[in-house]
Amino acid sequence: MRILLAEDDPNISVITQLCLEKIGGHTVTIASDGERAIHASKTEQFDLFILDGMMPKFSGIQVAEEIRKTNTETPIIFLSARSEPKEVDTFLKFATGFIPKPFDPQKICQAIETILKQRKAV
Amino acid sequence: MIRTKLRLLFMATLISLLGFSGVGYKTYRELDAVQRQMDLSWDLRAATVDLWRYRYEDSIRQNLERIQKVIDKDLVRSEPLDKMIRSYVSRDIPTLRTVSENFVYRETQILFDLRAKQRSLWDQLFQMAAFAIGISTLCVLFLMSFIRSKVFRSMDHLSGRMMDFLVDRYSFQFTEPERNEFGNLQKTFNALAQRSINNMEELRLLDQAKSEFVSIASHELRTPMTSIKGSLSLLTSGVMGEVEGGSLKLLRIAEVETDRLIRLINDLLDLAKIEAKQLPLQCEWRPWKEVTEKTIESLIGFAHQGKVQLVCEPSGTLETFIDADRIQQVLTNLISNAVKFSPEHGVVRIRSKIDYKNHLMIEIEDEGPGINEQDQALIFQKFRQGTNSDRPLVKGTGLGLAIAKALVEEHGGTIGVRAELGVGSTFYFTIPQWRKASLGERKTAA
Repeated sequence: MRILLAEDDPNISVITQLCLEKIGGHTVTIASDGERAIHASKTEQFDLFILDGMMPKFSGIQVAEEIRKTNTETPIIFLSARSEPKEVDTFLKFATGFIPKPFDPQKICQAIETILKQRKAV
Repeated sequence: MIRTKLRLLFMATLISLLGFSGVGYKTYRELDAVQRQMDLSWDLRAATVDLWRYRYEDSIRQNLERIQKVIDKDLVRSEPLDKMIRSYVSRDIPTLRTVSENFVYRETQILFDLRAKQRSLWDQLFQMAAFAIGISTLCVLFLMSFIRSKVFRSMDHLSGRMMDFLVDRYSFQFTEPERNEFGNLQKTFNALAQRSINNMEELRLLDQAKSEFVSIASHELRTPMTSIKGSLSLLTSGVMGEVEGGSLKLLRIAEVETDRLIRLINDLLDLAKIEAKQLPLQCEWRPWKEVTEKTIESLIGFAHQGKVQLVCEPSGTLETFIDADRIQQVLTNLISNAVKFSPEHGVVRIRSKIDYKNHLMIEIEDEGPGINEQDQALIFQKFRQGTNSDRPLVKGTGLGLAIAKALVEEHGGTIGVRAELGVGSTFYFTIPQWRKASLGERKTAA
């Protein structure tokens, strides 16, 4: 599965990438800010987007809005350090899932498994 | 200036009173003089009449001497006296009689004039007194009305504006202060108001800075924690190569402590948010049973780990007006505390009842060591724990009860503990808004 991981913190993106590749066996593309994420989403094909809530240039929400303009199928998972109910609600307007920071990268793999299972069922 | 005007008015009143009393005194003195002249005339007249009362030479002479003594150096009167004396000396009795009769007649005339003058002076005095009383009454009335309009009305006005300020309506700001003492007072008040507004603004900025801190701290603290937790998790999972023995043990310790640190950060940020009122409650009517069951379900694993039994005594079909997430947090904190301090095979009982205020009261009873009285008030403060936590299952952050207290109070309820050393503790909190769920309502909810 091809995954776009948009995350501005290099450490988190490396760890998450490692986890997704080693445990889940997915292919991961990393975008270090919102602009690059939007660009990548337009030029390449992905099966899943993992977006950080707060990024330079464009926030996760703005990236998700941009993606949803042309693509309403591909699941999006948000990562964010801010987990107030209001913000989670905004995330869930565009996304399939939300994982609050700090998270266990293995949980992302589990979340992806769950989403995949649901999709296969359809 | 009100002070100058008042002073002038006082002076005017005083001068008019003094002036009138001066004039009155002068009139009184005149009256006195007239009275003396009248007495004199009476004496002369009486003496002259007496000339003829006793027809002895002695008596005539004595009376003439008496008249002479009274007249003394009165030139006008000395002429008829001389005539009388001469006619007496020459024994010209008829002349003496005529002259003395004339003299008495004249004195009677004088007396008559004097009486008229006296009467007119008295009239003048009365008029003046009446006039003085009238003028001073007017002055006092004017003073009173001046004080009322300039002093009391201004005071009322000023206190009205101050009351306005108290209820956050700053109506003074743009009015031109009068050029008097009240104007000065208004200026002082304005300065004070300005200062307190500045202070409020400063406080608002501080509050804002605190909010920003909370928001930045959330992000800045959680981001590195994510990396640490992620790295540890990957290392222990063995994906990056086998880790064994001592290294694995160390990694597990690091992982547990990271979790603890994350919990502490979350608790701290929660508390900061509650204190900064940044955690608006999202209250709605929720079935109480559902809330408790959900919480207990999430804690069963933890209780099982400590070999503690959770018993939830059935509550009626109640609905509570709460922010379910937050009340679950309170319940979780209280129940997990109870589990932590329970002995093995202990029982933690959760029961709901109605207290004397008709609030829903939730009690969490454990069979732990209890809490001594000094600690009972202390444990709800930040970073404070009881002194006899001899077997903590999970080390706490010392914030759980402080958070629970803040959340319960946000809901308008109260929180507390009843405990007996060696017997156990019962933590309780109240929810003020609850109702019996009717069948109809439950249907619409479903």
